[in-house]
Amino acid sequence: MDAFLQSLSNAIATLNIDDPVSAWAWAWPVGEILHFTGMAVLIGTIGIIDARILGLFKGITIKSLERYAWIGAVAFCVNAITGFIFIAGNPIGGPIEYLANLSLQLKMLLVLIAGINLALFYFTGLAKRTNELGPNDSAPLGAKVVAGVSLFCWFGVICFGRLIMYNDTLLWALGL
Amino acid sequence: MGFLEAIETSGIATWVRESPSIFAYTGVLSAHAIGLAIAVGVNTVIALRLLGFASDIRAESLPRLFPFFYAGFTINLISGSMLLAASLTTLLGRWIFLTKLALILLAMINFEIMRMKIFRPATAGGALTVDERAARKFAWTALILWGLAVITGRLTSYPTFVEAIFGF
Repeated sequence: MDAFLQSLSNAIATLNIDDPVSAWAWAWPVGEILHFTGMAVLIGTIGIIDARILGLFKGITIKSLERYAWIGAVAFCVNAITGFIFIAGNPIGGPIEYLANLSLQLKMLLVLIAGINLALFYFTGLAKRTNELGPNDSAPLGAKVVAGVSLFCWFGVICFGRLIMYNDTLLWALGL
Repeated sequence: MGFLEAIETSGIATWVRESPSIFAYTGVLSAHAIGLAIAVGVNTVIALRLLGFASDIRAESLPRLFPFFYAGFTINLISGSMLLAASLTTLLGRWIFLTKLALILLAMINFEIMRMKIFRPATAGGALTVDERAARKFAWTALILWGLAVITGRLTSYPTFVEAIFGF
């Protein structure tokens, strides 16, 4: 595992993203502003759809709320790019400092689970069924499970994201 | 002991700042990020609809989303107060942080005025009809104010960078 992370770090380091990131004082603040904005847009769009599927509110069809989904996807892409720049452009410790960070690893694991969850939503036909619901209809149980997993994953991503800089606190909490 | 000192050395402020527990500083910080995501995210969805996006959605149903916006704001009011108490004298000395608070106050005033003018039925007990043209200025104001709040919020952690850019 460590050898894999080190070779991944070396591969990312060949991109030399740390040069412009170190040279440009704006890089980190602008990157973080974009990352936080992307986070808010993702939670707002995908989170609202999940909340409706879970029945936390009614009166709007899931189909009409799904018009916001592509905006959430764009926000995710912005965060994937800025996140990659943070890791690849890490000026002092290099990419390995992030890749070996447990908070970052758990964050990426939750992103992966969220992605698999989303794929299941579409490939099991649940997406099609929820799109046919009326404004006050309840979603099928399978869709509610998907929506619950989605919210859990994305709020977890936020928490582990915040913990990256305080990884020692996480390790201490886990008794590591 | 001064009033500010009393707050900063209080039990809760000390716990947030000094406890090694994951629920202390890091927990409150995470809650603040979650509250921000909910408040700004839901506000963005509402504002975009008022600007004509996803027009399948009846504008009159938008108040269904308001409780989530208020929930996000409340989470941040509480978590923000705890974070502020833990670093009171430092934060009150940062103009960028005070600007953030002012922007949030203006954003909440904008939201309340919008609720009164756009989301109240014309006659008591009557049906709500949303005037989307009149709503647009509130939507743009909300997007700009919350966007600036996110920016000033992030820059609060970079006081040397702020000084380098603005000169103070």
